[in-house]
Amino acid sequence: MKAVVETQPPATGLASELKRAGGDFLFAFRAMATPCEVRLESQDAELAGAVGRAVEAEARRIECKYSRYREDSIVSQINNSGGDEIIVDPETSDLLQFAANCFKISGGLFDITSGVLRRVWKFDGSDNVPDATQIKPLLASIGWEKVSWSPPVISLPAGMEIDMGGLAKEYAVDRALGAVREITSQPALVNFGGDLCVSGPRSSGARWKVAIESVEEDGRVAGLLELADGALATSGDARRFLLKNGIRYGHILDPRNGRPVKNTPRSVTVAARTCVEAGLTATLAMLHGKHAETFLKREGVRAWCVR
Amino acid sequence: MRIKKRRAGQIRESIASLSAGLLAATITPIAGSAVAQSYSNSDSNHNRDTFGPGIAYSELDSALLVYKEGDGRVQAIEPSTDLTVHGPAGQEISLGFVFDAVSGATPNGAVPSDLPQTFVTPVKAQGSTATVTSASGGSTIIHLPPSPGDLAAAALGRQYVVPANALPMDRGFHDHRWAINFGWSQPMGGLSEVGMGGGYSIEQDYRAITVNTRVAQNFNSNNTTVSLALNMELDSSFPYGGVPTPLTAMNPQWKSPSSRGKTQTGFVLSLTQIVTRHWLMQLNYSFDWQSGYQNDPYRILSVVDPSSGEPLSYLYENRPRERQTQSVFWENKFDFGPTVTDISLRYFKDDWGITSKTAELAERIDLSHSIYVEPSARWYQQSAANFFDYYLVQGQSLPAYATSDTRLGKFTSLTYGVKIGFKPTGRTEFYVRGDYYRQTGDGHPANAIGQLQQQNLFAGSKAAYVLIGYTWDFH
Amino acid sequence: MQRPSSQPMVRCGISLAVFFFALAMCSGCVAIGPKPWEKDLMARHEMQPDSYPLQTAADEHIYFSKEASSGGRGFAGGGCGCN
Repeated sequence: MKAVVETQPPATGLASELKRAGGDFLFAFRAMATPCEVRLESQDAELAGAVGRAVEAEARRIECKYSRYREDSIVSQINNSGGDEIIVDPETSDLLQFAANCFKISGGLFDITSGVLRRVWKFDGSDNVPDATQIKPLLASIGWEKVSWSPPVISLPAGMEIDMGGLAKEYAVDRALGAVREITSQPALVNFGGDLCVSGPRSSGARWKVAIESVEEDGRVAGLLELADGALATSGDARRFLLKNGIRYGHILDPRNGRPVKNTPRSVTVAARTCVEAGLTATLAMLHGKHAETFLKREGVRAWCVR
Repeated sequence: MRIKKRRAGQIRESIASLSAGLLAATITPIAGSAVAQSYSNSDSNHNRDTFGPGIAYSELDSALLVYKEGDGRVQAIEPSTDLTVHGPAGQEISLGFVFDAVSGATPNGAVPSDLPQTFVTPVKAQGSTATVTSASGGSTIIHLPPSPGDLAAAALGRQYVVPANALPMDRGFHDHRWAINFGWSQPMGGLSEVGMGGGYSIEQDYRAITVNTRVAQNFNSNNTTVSLALNMELDSSFPYGGVPTPLTAMNPQWKSPSSRGKTQTGFVLSLTQIVTRHWLMQLNYSFDWQSGYQNDPYRILSVVDPSSGEPLSYLYENRPRERQTQSVFWENKFDFGPTVTDISLRYFKDDWGITSKTAELAERIDLSHSIYVEPSARWYQQSAANFFDYYLVQGQSLPAYATSDTRLGKFTSLTYGVKIGFKPTGRTEFYVRGDYYRQTGDGHPANAIGQLQQQNLFAGSKAAYVLIGYTWDFH
Repeated sequence: MQRPSSQPMVRCGISLAVFFFALAMCSGCVAIGPKPWEKDLMARHEMQPDSYPLQTAADEHIYFSKEASSGGRGFAGGGCGCN
C-alpha cells in the first residue's frame, strides 16, 4: 500500500499556462500537489486551450471529490460518518469496488484503509522512525475486511479511514485523457506528476519521448522511454523517506504490520494500457520489496526498476 | 513477503481486466480509436496481447507430427509452421506451411480370402521402366500384353500378392504433400472483424485450392461473438494410371481421363458466448456441399461367389457425385482455477446416410506456473454410408454406388492422449502430446457368405502419434 | 441403391440455421455474461476457443483421413487428397 504521506495540503494553484513547445501546445497547471500538463499535437491555439481546460477541470473535479484534505469530498464524508451507512454515487462505487478487488488480488497488500498510518509515519527525510508501541494501536483500525461494503452502500467502523491517494492520480490521468478524446482525436499526452497516458502515437506514427527522472536529487535524466500507446506510472521514494542509523525507510508501508516494506527498489516505472493499471502494478511491485523484479518478470509486465 | 504464488501473468491479467472495467464503465471510448480497441478484453482468437496496446507483435508456431499405424500400415511425418503478425490496431496477417510424407500399407478395399490373391495396379510413371517402391512394397513389375490394336510398346503394371487369410493391402503407398496457407483479418467499418484467406496443397496425385472469407461481430460487452465464414475448395485428383471407370474390372492399364475435379462450398455460422466468469462456450452450425469426383481411384471391391464366398473378380468403387453435409458443434471451456476443462460434442449428418457423434474431453491441470499436463479422450461413432458394402456378390445386379472403404463404414473409435506443456517464459511454450487411436467395428457380419464367415472383414486401424510443438511471441 | 432426396435435409438445415441466428440475436439483447472487470479468467490463453491451432490442424488432418465426418469447429474440407 502506498502510504499517503503528503506533508502539506495540496496547493490550490490557480495559475495555468498555455505555451508552444516544438510542434505541440503545452498546457500546464498545478493540482493534486503535483505539476500537471497536457501536451497536444496541434497548431490550433483555441483547440489547445479548450483541451487544457477540460483536463484541468477533470483533475480538479476528481481532487475535490476524493481528496481527504477537503471537507466536502466524498472521502471525508465517509471518514467522518462514524459508522453510519453512506450511499455513494456510481463513480465512487466503481472506484471502491475496484479497490476491493485489488485488495483481494493482492492478498491484502493493497488496502485503502491503511492511511491512518500517516499519523505516526512522516516521511520527511528525518530520523523520526516510530516504534512498535506507536504503530500497534493503529493496526486495529486497518483492514478492508472490516469495512462493510455492499455496492453502493459503505459503512466504515468508527476510527477507520479510507484514502484514495493510491488511485486518484492515475484515475484522473485516464479520465482526463478520455475528456481530451471527446474533444479531439489529435495526438495528446496527459501527465500528472510523472503518471501519464497517451492517446496513441504521434501523427507521423512516431512515438512520444518521455524522460525518466533520476532517483538522485541532481535532476539528471536516468533514461528516455519511447511510448507509442498506453500509460506509464512510477512508484518511488526519491523524496519521501526516513533515514535512521544508516537505514533508509521507504514510504511504502505494509498494512499488515504497519512497517515499511524492506529492500524496495528506489523506483519502479510500469507501462500498461491504462494509468490505473500501471500505477497499481507499480505499487504492487514495490510491495514485493526485494522480489520486485521477479514479480514483474513473472507477470510479464513491461517495467523498469532502479535500485 | 510475497503475494500467494499463482500462474504467471495472472495478477497482471486481473489488474488489466479490472482497470479496463473501471474505465470502460466511466468513459466511452471513441469508436475506431486504437486505444479503444485495447479496452475490449476478449478477442475471439489471439488474445495474447502481452506486449501492450499499440505495439505490433508476432507469433511463430511450429509443430511436428509423427504418426504410425499398427500392422505395418500407414506412417507419416508432418512438420508445420505458422507465422502470425499482429498490427497495432487489431490487424492480423498470417502465413503457414505444412509438409507431409506418408508411406506404408493401406487396405485396397478387397476382402480376405482363404487362398492367396493377386492384385495389379498401374505403375506411377506411364511407359517408364522405373520401379516403384519395390524395396519396401514387395511388388514386382510385370509386362502386360498390349491392348488389341495398340501399336505402342507393352505397358507396365505393378503386381502384388496377398497371402491367404490376410487383409489385402497395397504396400507401395508413398506420397509427399506440400501446402501453404495465408490469411488476413482486421476490424472494418462497423464490424469487429473481416477476414480472408486461402490455401494451396499439392501432392503427387492430388491438388486442392481453397479460399475463404469471414465476418464477425462482437456484442454485449464483447461477451458474445457471432460470425459467418464461407469457404470454397477446388480439388483435382490425378491418380497414377488415370481415372478408372467405376464398377469396371481392376486393371493396370493407364486409363483416361487423367484427372477429375471436385468443388466444395460451405459455410460455418458460429456463436461464441462467455456465459459466466468461468465458462466459455461456442456453438457452430456448418453446411457443406460437394460436387464432382468423390471416388478413391485406387480402391476396389471384391465380387465373391454366392455360395463359397471366394473372390472371383475386383471392381473399382463408385460414390455419388454430390454430397451435402451438416454438423452442429458445441464446445465448452470451464476455468476452475488450477484446471481448465474442455468438453465438446459434435453431431454430423450427410445425405450419403452417414450420421456420426463425437464427444471430446480434455482436462488441463497446472502443476506450477510454467508446467501443465492435459489428459484427453475422444469417443467417435459413425454409421455406414448407404452404399457401403464389405463385398459384392456375383449374380446380383450391380448397384449404382458401392464402396468398401472403412472410412465410410460403421465403426466406433476411441482416442486417448496426454499432453505436457512447458512455458519457460511468458512468451514461449513447448509441448509434447502422445495419443493412441483405435477403430473398432463388426468384422463378422451375420450374413457373411461361405469362407467370409471365417474372415475378419473390418479394415479399421489403430495408431499411435506424437505431436511436438513450440510457440514463440516476439516483436 | 438410390441416393435419397436431399430436400428434407436442406430444409432441416435452413431451419436450424435460422434458429441458431435467432439464438444469437437473443443473447445479444439479454445481457448475458460477466462484467468487463470479471473477465480476468477469460484472458487466459487456454480459455480461447481454439488455443492451439497447429494441434487442431494435425488432429483434424488425422480424423479427416480416417473418418467420414470432418469439420465442426471449422470447415469440412480437408484441403488434401486423403479421403
